[in-house]
Amino acid sequence: MIDFVRPRMLNEEDDGSPAKCRERRRRRIEMRRLAALSAAGSSPQPGHGSGDGRVEGPRASGAKRIRASDGSCIPSSSSTSSGDDAEAPVAAPQQQPDVVAAATSVEWYGVMSVSGRSREMEDAISVRTGLCRPELSRRRPVHFFAVFDGHGGHHVSRLCREKMHVFLEEELTRPREQRPADEDDAWREVMRASFRRMDEATMNTCACGSVGSQCGCHPMEVAIGGSTAVAAVLTPDRIVVANCGDSRAVLCRGGKAIPLSRDHKPDRPDELARIEAAGGRVIHVNGARVEGILAMSRAIGDKYLKPVVTSEPEIIYTARQAEDDCLILASDGLWDVLSSELACEVAFECLRGEGSPPAMDLNSGAGAEDNVNGALFPSRSVLAAALLTRLALGRKSWDNISVIVVDLKKS
Amino acid sequence: MESQATSTASATAIYMRDRFGCCFRNWMAQQHLDLDELLQAVSADSGDAEKLRSLAGKSIQHFRDYLEARSQLAQHDAPSFFCPPWCTSFENSFLWIGGCRPTLAIRLVYSSSGSDLEAQLAGGARRCDDDRSNGSGGGGGNLGEITASQLKSINELHMKTLRMEEKLSSRMASMQEEIADDPLALIAKRSGRVGEESESVERVMKRHALSLARVLTEADELRLATLRELVEEILTPLQAVEFLVTTKKLHLSIHEWGKRRDSVLGKV
Repeated sequence: MIDFVRPRMLNEEDDGSPAKCRERRRRRIEMRRLAALSAAGSSPQPGHGSGDGRVEGPRASGAKRIRASDGSCIPSSSSTSSGDDAEAPVAAPQQQPDVVAAATSVEWYGVMSVSGRSREMEDAISVRTGLCRPELSRRRPVHFFAVFDGHGGHHVSRLCREKMHVFLEEELTRPREQRPADEDDAWREVMRASFRRMDEATMNTCACGSVGSQCGCHPMEVAIGGSTAVAAVLTPDRIVVANCGDSRAVLCRGGKAIPLSRDHKPDRPDELARIEAAGGRVIHVNGARVEGILAMSRAIGDKYLKPVVTSEPEIIYTARQAEDDCLILASDGLWDVLSSELACEVAFECLRGEGSPPAMDLNSGAGAEDNVNGALFPSRSVLAAALLTRLALGRKSWDNISVIVVDLKKS
Repeated sequence: MESQATSTASATAIYMRDRFGCCFRNWMAQQHLDLDELLQAVSADSGDAEKLRSLAGKSIQHFRDYLEARSQLAQHDAPSFFCPPWCTSFENSFLWIGGCRPTLAIRLVYSSSGSDLEAQLAGGARRCDDDRSNGSGGGGGNLGEITASQLKSINELHMKTLRMEEKLSSRMASMQEEIADDPLALIAKRSGRVGEESESVERVMKRHALSLARVLTEADELRLATLRELVEEILTPLQAVEFLVTTKKLHLSIHEWGKRRDSVLGKV
């Protein structure tokens, strides 16, 4: 069952008293100063943005390879299949280094993923800009952003990082006959199928990494562990977010926070009803947990809690509007200590803060010289992702923190 | 004859014991001096990157000297570094292989950077403006201004340090569990009198002490490497000096608080 949820203003039931407004305005002003400072303070670190990956995707502003927090390199998006590439006006496979550098300087998204105060890194993020140009988006580019927060190990979240976009691309490029006629239905079907296939792949993969049941590990090794998944698909005219678990996607529209996902907590009334209908129980052991074990009601994996814990995503889509500022995807390491509203405020101020763009803000001689192509300095969206992460760290988040900020004005 | 040998041995023991305590007291005194100098630099020379860098380097060198000295002493008596009588019991309760956990340095960056950031949110960003107007190249940025690429480097260092820490922890665990195994457990079981002396017992104890010395040295190397990478490669000179101030304040304070606690409990 897919829930179609109308985007709702977060501050609907918010306190609009003058004192609160003043407080918010004051905070915004501070935020603006902070954003400018953190931009100016960015030291030219060797290695940053020295694109070792090829630029891909149809736009010159395409992405470089994302380096995962644990140092392993995410393979770049598989735009080798299908004829989509041929139709791209600016298909840019192996570009010269200077072009790569220029491309990274106008990056319109930023990612940050840190272990934080947790000793285990179970988060994983995946970004595939220019994933494909399917008929469903009228041959216009589709970008993919996702955050996966693993539990019971990092194997499921890492598998999601490697596979989710592959399934999505395959589902998107299916022949038209195999899809519902209605466009909204078609998108929903694509997202559902991708999550279903992702879940099946998880069921079939052991924690040791081997596929099938040849590895000889205890069957429980295959059964334990799971991951949240919040995946956003961006086209020129819409944002489709599919979610299972308690990671979250928030849209910042005209400075306001609009939730694009709803956390799957076991004590959410409709989720509680679904769990009980499926024969499960919610037991309060250190918070509401399915069977007293899992603190979320939906997840990829978690074979031993099926079908009570389902991988069926909730899908929310929204038409893009001119006043859309940015999209924030993050794991609960951020949301536990930062409200959606504050996160949007911080990102908004960081992206649109007054003053010159960050790269220009540094008026010390050497920096300005080196910065002609802007390659040495992170984009504002990178700064925003880092600022949110640092705020969460400062607020004593105990979990891994992963944040993606997509600048919708530039994408 | 025998009694003379014994008294020489105990005199040596007292002398060595004194050297152990002395090594630690020297280190604490050195940290007090370093702290004063670092604090002075933060307030007076925050724009002089070269000076800050050399001060940070000096602090690291002092730490290295201390570790070198205790590595020598550990050859005589490594076990005492694992529960040192010259530290307070409060301090000893935090020990991981004879010192602080190497990842503590990263946690400390996170917490003090976070508190600086919140302070700026609350309206105190002026200080940073001053830093910037001081102008010189590598200076700027306090701990509240960790950049995106610094954060990435810190996280990478964190992951690396965690892995090495886990390795040492599990080696330590094996060594601790070995006591229940051959030979000590079996010697104890077979012996007629509790605590019976024997050459083999002495040999085993000596061997254990030397293994402990090796683990201690490796743990110290990890502590030093983590600190060095943070201070010399990731943080700006001003951030590095501020960070060193934070670590030293924490260490010296814990020692003082521990002493007060011990005296209240009548331990001294």
